[in-house]
Amino acid sequence: MTGKERILTALSLQEPDRVPLYIHAINEAPIIGIGRHLREGLPDSKALYEMDASETVALLDTLFLIHEAFEIDGFTAFEIGHETVLDERHVRDDWGVLYERSPYGLPVASGHPLKAPDDLSRYHPPRPRREHLLMHDLARDRFKGHKALFWMMRGAFVRSWRLAGMENLMIQMFDCPSFVHALARMVTNFNLEMLDLLTDAGVDVLIVEDDIADKQFPLIAPDQFRTFVEPYNRELVDKAHAAGLKVVRHSDGNLWPLLDSLFDAGYDGLNPLEPQAGMDLKKVKAHCGDRICLIGNIDCIELLPSGTPVQVEAAVRQAIEDAARGGGYILSDSNSLHPGVKPENCIAMFEAAKKYGRYPGAGR
Amino acid sequence: MPLLSDLAQALEAGDRARVEILTARALQENMSPDGILKEGLFAGMDVVGARFKNGDIYIPQVLIAARAMHAGMEILRPHLIRTGAKPAGTFIIGTVQGDHHDIGKNLVAMMLQGKGFEVIDLGVNVPSERFVQALRDHEANIIGMSALLSITLPFMEETIEAIGRAGLRDTVKIMVGGGSVTQAYADQIGADGYGPDATAAAENALALLA
Repeated sequence: MTGKERILTALSLQEPDRVPLYIHAINEAPIIGIGRHLREGLPDSKALYEMDASETVALLDTLFLIHEAFEIDGFTAFEIGHETVLDERHVRDDWGVLYERSPYGLPVASGHPLKAPDDLSRYHPPRPRREHLLMHDLARDRFKGHKALFWMMRGAFVRSWRLAGMENLMIQMFDCPSFVHALARMVTNFNLEMLDLLTDAGVDVLIVEDDIADKQFPLIAPDQFRTFVEPYNRELVDKAHAAGLKVVRHSDGNLWPLLDSLFDAGYDGLNPLEPQAGMDLKKVKAHCGDRICLIGNIDCIELLPSGTPVQVEAAVRQAIEDAARGGGYILSDSNSLHPGVKPENCIAMFEAAKKYGRYPGAGR
Repeated sequence: MPLLSDLAQALEAGDRARVEILTARALQENMSPDGILKEGLFAGMDVVGARFKNGDIYIPQVLIAARAMHAGMEILRPHLIRTGAKPAGTFIIGTVQGDHHDIGKNLVAMMLQGKGFEVIDLGVNVPSERFVQALRDHEANIIGMSALLSITLPFMEETIEAIGRAGLRDTVKIMVGGGSVTQAYADQIGADGYGPDATAAAENALALLA
């Protein structure tokens, strides 16, 4: 099987030839750290925004090489080129959201253009642009149909709170629900239009990335989720399915109180299943493993940063035992390969997936 | 006292307008500002904290309850100053260097205010020297550091060391919390307290002063 077939089979809740392997998100430091096991001449670790064009190309090429060398079956692309650098510490995206850069993680939205209903009348949302799909195009050209091409799309909640500010959005759910709906409508219209571009560009799997929970609880009440978030994301699911794409829902945190709503929305896969947030793989498999493909769960909070390759191998073996039975499991970490993970542990995860993930037999 | 229990319930529901009206009415009825604060506003916030910790309500409900509490406190403030009421303690709070996440820290600040703390919020991405300077500028009982990103955790330890080097370690209790912090980590870096959630953080802060 090709990586693409493997991923699509697992997302269809069938057994591929082996448990597919997938990286949802990865930072610069682990790309360089893992890449050093494959090639020479990589720069010292630094943030993408500090790299010149040749370093950026080398970084992306290294990421492709990692996917090839370790037989990672899917590649995740996302929008690039939609941000403007303001100064060393700040960027602004084409929605007008201001982000603070940090050397320790992804930029965090800190300036919000749509704080109140009146702001909407003066606001013009961006349109999706084909040239922002460059990363996907490069991956498609490189992998030539051998790997599943994922696209990470921010969902209604994340896009809305970035526009309004998270606390403000939550308060507006009480003060002015029509404003919250107007934001969700606007960002969903953008996403639906983007989906047309993605379909034409040959994306295989849409990831609706819409963090909605922390490790204890959902961020908003389940009824607010069902009112202000999921109906909008569901439009993406329906349209993607109609276009023949698979759809994965990504959210950090404890999703138990929302799981039934997520099933109703018709997602094919669920990621990243954080063990620290109560998303025990065995329990989730028992609860809904026959309805949704499970993706993730290899602990990136403690195990991949602080464990040993032997411990990682054991965790991969356990995850396959817990979730691979009958298909419907894609091995991946429990959120992202962030700057704190050890490259050797990531490699141990990749290799163990192939060692223990052979069907028939995996998970039995 | 039904008026104060009504006030507490209005706060629990996040009904800011009703909290303002009932706070003003309690003052008109010559209730003590300190009693209105503790038996009305803080009693309501206690219920909010317990329900939040239990997963019965979620962050948005806490936000509107805290907003209602602040509205009541604004009305009470001049009266509290006149009567010389003292806060339970002074708590300096901030998210550590490199980390720009604020909602967890803000929730802790709200719960602390609901326990009667005066809260000095240094914001996000706070380097160790700013925590130290804040300790010099304010007579604080407790300093609290938040971090969501595990990679920024070392800045907690660095700040504790900086407080030690400044000779201030014995003057203040230190608490840590946030998405990637555990009790084991708090113990490891020599913090005095930890909050697994916002409600517990505020309860533990009070306990540290006992």
